[in-house]
Amino acid sequence: MSNVQVATGVINLSEGDPGLVDEIKELGGEELLECIQCAKCAAACPMVLAGFSFFNKRVIQAILLGLRDALLDDSSIWACQSCNRCTEVCPREVNPFEIIQAMRRVAIREFALPTLSIEGLKSLYDTGHAVYLAGAGSTRAKVGLPEKPYSTVANPKALKELQAVIRQTALADLGIIPMDESDVTETCEV
Amino acid sequence: MPRIGVYICHCGENIAGAVNVEEVRKYAEKLPGVALARNYLFMCSDPGQELIKQDIRNGLIDRVVVAACTPRTHEPIFRKALENGGLNKYLLEMANIRDQDSWPHWHDKEGATEKAKRLVASAVAKAAFLEPLEDRFVEVAPASLVIGGGVSGMFAALDLANMGYKVYLVEKSPSVGGNMAKLDKTFPTNDCSACILTPIMVQVGTHPNIELLTYSEVESVEGSIGNFKVKVRKKQTYIDWDKCTGCGDCVNACPAKVPNEFNEGMDNRKAIYIEFPQAVPKRAVVDIEHCLSCAKRTIGTKPRIHSKTGEPILAPCEKACKTGACDRSREYNPEGEVIELNVGTIIVATGYKVMDKAPFKEYSPQSPNVITAMQLERILSATGPTEGHFHRPSDGEKPKTIAFISCVGSRDKRYHTYCSKVCCMYMLKEARLIKEKYPDTNIYIFFIDVRTGGKDFEEYYNYCRDLGIKMLRGRVGAVDELPGDRLRVRAYDVDLGAPVELEADLVVLATAIEPAPDLEELGRKLGITCGSEGFLKELHTKLYPVETPVKGIYIAGCAQGPKDIPESVSQARAASSAAAVPLTLGKVVVEPLISEVNQRKCTGCGTCVQLCPYSAIKLVEDRGRLRSRIDEALCAGCGVCAAACPSGVITLHGFTNAQIHAQIKALAC
Repeated sequence: MSNVQVATGVINLSEGDPGLVDEIKELGGEELLECIQCAKCAAACPMVLAGFSFFNKRVIQAILLGLRDALLDDSSIWACQSCNRCTEVCPREVNPFEIIQAMRRVAIREFALPTLSIEGLKSLYDTGHAVYLAGAGSTRAKVGLPEKPYSTVANPKALKELQAVIRQTALADLGIIPMDESDVTETCEV
Repeated sequence: MPRIGVYICHCGENIAGAVNVEEVRKYAEKLPGVALARNYLFMCSDPGQELIKQDIRNGLIDRVVVAACTPRTHEPIFRKALENGGLNKYLLEMANIRDQDSWPHWHDKEGATEKAKRLVASAVAKAAFLEPLEDRFVEVAPASLVIGGGVSGMFAALDLANMGYKVYLVEKSPSVGGNMAKLDKTFPTNDCSACILTPIMVQVGTHPNIELLTYSEVESVEGSIGNFKVKVRKKQTYIDWDKCTGCGDCVNACPAKVPNEFNEGMDNRKAIYIEFPQAVPKRAVVDIEHCLSCAKRTIGTKPRIHSKTGEPILAPCEKACKTGACDRSREYNPEGEVIELNVGTIIVATGYKVMDKAPFKEYSPQSPNVITAMQLERILSATGPTEGHFHRPSDGEKPKTIAFISCVGSRDKRYHTYCSKVCCMYMLKEARLIKEKYPDTNIYIFFIDVRTGGKDFEEYYNYCRDLGIKMLRGRVGAVDELPGDRLRVRAYDVDLGAPVELEADLVVLATAIEPAPDLEELGRKLGITCGSEGFLKELHTKLYPVETPVKGIYIAGCAQGPKDIPESVSQARAASSAAAVPLTLGKVVVEPLISEVNQRKCTGCGTCVQLCPYSAIKLVEDRGRLRSRIDEALCAGCGVCAAACPSGVITLHGFTNAQIHAQIKALAC
């Protein structure tokens, strides 16, 4: 968006990107054009209640109008909690969650992702958890839990497999997080 | 002493919800002349009518008052009940305690109950003076008149003609075809409009039972069902249509240029013209207002003789005409010719007019690139000004970005409050036609609601969305002209919750569907009123949608309200079958509720003769004096004569002075 637009808040549709619709369809949002903006998804969405500006219905409308920059300038799409309610209630089988996912893929390609997401991705790569509290071990032990959950964190072989998978994704090409194998230690924690 | 039976209907909760029916019944019971009063949930139902019949058969009553809904729809039902019970059916009086009481006064139960009592008392007072009357019959002229030669009128005419009746089809334009002839393709199947319509036009033009009167208008209508006397003015064409072959040589020769109505003013036609290439009948017309009278050839004058050649100097059109149809020496009566028709029934199918863009100042109507959807239709049409090439008007360039604006003049208190019904679909259709042909075009449609309610319409809408046509909910606030023939569309996208603007090459306004010009005046000639929207009112929205309050006159197509083609055709065929019933029967019952002059007492002053709107009264010689006499076939029972007669010697049967006075007196006390 041009600076003028940011100042006035008017969205110039002429500057919309007509290719965005096809891009989203390729990246997983195949049913995008089925959306008739009935807003049932928005009624079920926690992002709406939390006050994020680009929630499912609005994301879809913005994509339909090719408003790539408006979506990339806003971090809302990263707030989706993947609760999947939108997809469950959608009467048109649009799969709004898949569209948000696809939009995230577009954003990643453009490196338009918030710092928190980078940390989350790094944590995912290092531990297999997007959010993992390394210091929780003693608390866990107090309530009779093993210090590390029975997941990738406690299973170096599984973690290695996960990392191998992640390295096969677009993330490796984009270089958003360090993925050097030598950097990975079995005790890497955040 | 009359024995009146009073029957009060609950109409479910319609009446009983506001009126204390039992209280009214008790009140009615005590009125003078009332033998019994009953109430029932639905008086019009079979058991309801049975109550009346039984009471008549048991000899309890000899007059009936039904306090219920409107006599407009229900009087015939109760008359039948009286007849079946063995009583003269005109010994019935209705009190409308629903439309005129419980409905408007639903919030005031006490008041509504009091009013119901008054209305019942008034009806009872009149009922005491009712007299038995006998139906009369009139012969039906076995012909029908269809006004309007669009798709509705043509189908109505063809159906009647195929049933074997003579049909006069009156169309004000030189050719039949109407608005549908202007369309490129038609939703929801995208048939080519001309391909499906022109064969119908040809059928209409060649059917032995159809007398096609194009370039004609209805001047006046008199009489009633079975015997309408219609005057039709055949407008002056200044061309001998018997000789004209529609070759078009005269059109090519004519130098005058006039905005072409058929192409919605997008190009010019000549002063002598054939309405469109597929016109039926294909005949030329001289638009005398714009005729230049080349070579000083005014109509009706002898040509000057060339001084050298000795040949007469002719106008180019005359010279070009090989058949002698274009003969300017002939004295033409500019008024045309008035012909009289006698028909049994009439169908009105005068269609619609698309609203002009001029009133919408906020949408830059002065810009050549802001056009109405009908103009776009002509641009897209192979017979249009660009022969189907998609050009924008200002520079002939193919538009890359197009904005459609819906509800222009519809759902708008300043213009038309109603939904024009077809705009959503025609916008989608036009957008689709463009997008299919030129997939690179960016098309934005600004809606306030998408109304695609017909069969296969939602599927059509989905298909358009899949083509990538963009829909924005939000009425456009402004269209501004920018340098370089660009237009800026400003709106608020409700779904985005943000103001948006768009630079477009072409803006298409989906302007409202309006009643045809002069529809109200035609309605007056026919005795049919228009609703608040200006379209002709049907007798009953649900049950009698093609009938009108005037017996023998039916309506079809957009004369009644906005409609698409499938609906117009359905209604036209419904109207034709309704209009065929009296023709088939050969005679129709006419209510005896008409006026009669007491010949012995008439002074022959002639007051009534002047006032009668149906020209049913004449002064005739009777025992050495002029006295007025009423033609039963023409009298419509309006009562003007009876009210005006200074001697009080005209009786309107069913509404005699005694009856009316009793009714008023009962209301007043």
